[in-house]
Amino acid sequence: MAIEILVPRLGWTMEEGVFVEWLKRDGETVRQGDLIFRLEGDKALTEVESMDDGILRIPPDAPQPGATVPVGALLGYLVAPGERAPFEPSLPVTPSPPLPTSSAPAAPTISPRALRVAKELGVDWAALRGSGRTGRIVEADVRKAAAQSTAQPPTARRVPVSPTRRVIAERMAAGLHVAAPVTLSSEVDATELVRLREQLKQDKKATVIPSYSDLLAKIAAHALLEHPALNARLEEDEIVTDSAVHMGIAVDTERGLLAPVVRDAQAKSLLQIAAETRALIERTRTGKATADELRGSTFTVSNLGMYEIDAFSPVINLPECAILGLGRIVAKQVVTLRPGSIDEIERVSVRRMMTLSLTFDHRLVDGAPAAAFLQRVKHLVEQPYLWLVT
Amino acid sequence: MRELTYTAAAREALAAAMAKDPSIFVVGEGIGARGGNFNTTAGLYDLYGPMRLRDTPIAERGFIGLCAGAAMTGARPVVDFMFLDFILDAMGELINQVAKMQYMSDGRLKMPIVLRGSVGVGGSAATHHSGNYYSIFAHIPGFRVVLPSTPYDAKGLFNTALRGDDPVMFLEHKLLLNTKGPVPEDDYAIPFGQASVVREGGRDCRVTVVALAAMLRKTLDACDQLAKDGISVEVIDPRTVAPLDMDTILQSLHKTGRLLIVDETFAPCGIGAEIAAQAVDRALDDLDAPVKRLNGAHTPTPYSPPLEAAVIPNAATIEQAIRDLLAE
Repeated sequence: MAIEILVPRLGWTMEEGVFVEWLKRDGETVRQGDLIFRLEGDKALTEVESMDDGILRIPPDAPQPGATVPVGALLGYLVAPGERAPFEPSLPVTPSPPLPTSSAPAAPTISPRALRVAKELGVDWAALRGSGRTGRIVEADVRKAAAQSTAQPPTARRVPVSPTRRVIAERMAAGLHVAAPVTLSSEVDATELVRLREQLKQDKKATVIPSYSDLLAKIAAHALLEHPALNARLEEDEIVTDSAVHMGIAVDTERGLLAPVVRDAQAKSLLQIAAETRALIERTRTGKATADELRGSTFTVSNLGMYEIDAFSPVINLPECAILGLGRIVAKQVVTLRPGSIDEIERVSVRRMMTLSLTFDHRLVDGAPAAAFLQRVKHLVEQPYLWLVT
Repeated sequence: MRELTYTAAAREALAAAMAKDPSIFVVGEGIGARGGNFNTTAGLYDLYGPMRLRDTPIAERGFIGLCAGAAMTGARPVVDFMFLDFILDAMGELINQVAKMQYMSDGRLKMPIVLRGSVGVGGSAATHHSGNYYSIFAHIPGFRVVLPSTPYDAKGLFNTALRGDDPVMFLEHKLLLNTKGPVPEDDYAIPFGQASVVREGGRDCRVTVVALAAMLRKTLDACDQLAKDGISVEVIDPRTVAPLDMDTILQSLHKTGRLLIVDETFAPCGIGAEIAAQAVDRALDDLDAPVKRLNGAHTPTPYSPPLEAAVIPNAATIEQAIRDLLAE
């Protein structure tokens, strides 16, 4: 009995994905646990393993690499040795050598006239949808595309929205329109954090230098233990507060914004967090992070300091309650007043200042507790010994 | 302008030519005192007598050979077959002698012979009297094959047929013979190889239809229906299938991008296949869809009226074919 190979659901919100490629060839023997194909889900590229033993058979009309496929779509079969695949004729056939797997998706067809007109008008027809009976691109399709593109700058390029981009779009829109986002900003003195980092750099034995994102992830995790209302999410009519902090780290990749997750960040040391995020970010940037590594965070840290951004309003990554944005660290003059005085200067010093921006969902938590959380983060930034000892 | 029937228009051309040129004579069955089964020679016997309107026995190959000899020696015979189907008995004479004689004689001998007869499906003429043979004759080098669809064209093309030096097949669709239309009294000639754009499409016109003989009228009826839905169609009547005016067809195709050939006769190896092949060959980059043909069924023509109607295109099937092509 042939076993069907179907498109799996990689995450609860996944309805379709992109079939990337087979990792086994038609006719090849597959063992349970072997990786048999790659699938791009909402966020991650996943290598899907076989649940059974058998010989892989790929029907001629199976989805081509690059095709968008719905969850549950049939990709192929596993058959027993000598067994006929369901798509094969019932007459006995001599086994054929494995078909070479095609790497290019089928190109759209275009009528000669439409092709000529596309050249005349400079229309890139490869991405057009044909309205002809067989899906052929006809002249009218090209002219329509040309009319639309003349309304745009001549350099406009059109690419289909990728599954990753679509998820980002939906979640960012939800973060602004479903949540009730409010952003608080606070300028903090990061001099001690800078000093801590410099000392670690000097230390020959340090295996990994934590980034400011790592430092703030550690600090935020610590503060969230004391302010669990910010480590919450809304589920139907309930507010669910997690005892563990799963820290999302916003990462810019070619595919778009992704947030790999450091699990149980509250229980991990700074260097553990640093080592873990370094590996996670590398896997995320190269598309190798698994779907599980990209979901389930309870709080997110987002850093734009490397782009010389002072402050910004991060968008909540629903269903989380809050997100912490990190601005750049700059040297500033700071005036310290004589104790008890209102305008007498005790000293003017140069400090390394940084603006933290906390966006929280006002549906779950009010302004004062959110402010108290941000204030606690400020204290922990300014006095690292407070959390180094825990 | 005065209106004449298709037959009367052609007869006017014949009568005027016979008055001017004593070398023109007509042979055929019943074309003398009887005036022709289809009135093609009505009244001419009284004017020119039995020497120039010569009734013949049923001996097609014989009188074709006789007329071929007369043409070679300077006369201008008009052979009236009544039903063109009867020409089949003279195919050897026609293809081997009439069509080739000018070539064989290096042009020293001429072959100014007009071979006329009714063609086409209609009126329960049944399978021996319903043939269309233009594709067969257009296949043979040496023949001019003329297929008028209106009284105006019938007179103008007949005049040209009577003035050239080549053998001309003058094929008159039997359903057109009694149709009326405007015909000028003056002596005009329509050159062979000039198609007529019968209905010009608008700027947004996306389909060209080539319609032959009796199919032209049905196509125009279909176009009237389509116009109610705002669909514009450009209609071309080739008028002669040899020579074939592809340039006019291709000019239209360049404008519209789609081509349908409506041809009453059989599709295989027919003139529609020839037009399609030349369109693909010469105007591939103008084609926005496959070239389509709408033909009669590939079958002997039935006698039964409903069956006879079923084997040839009509306005409704033409309309559907145009809609289908536009959806390609």
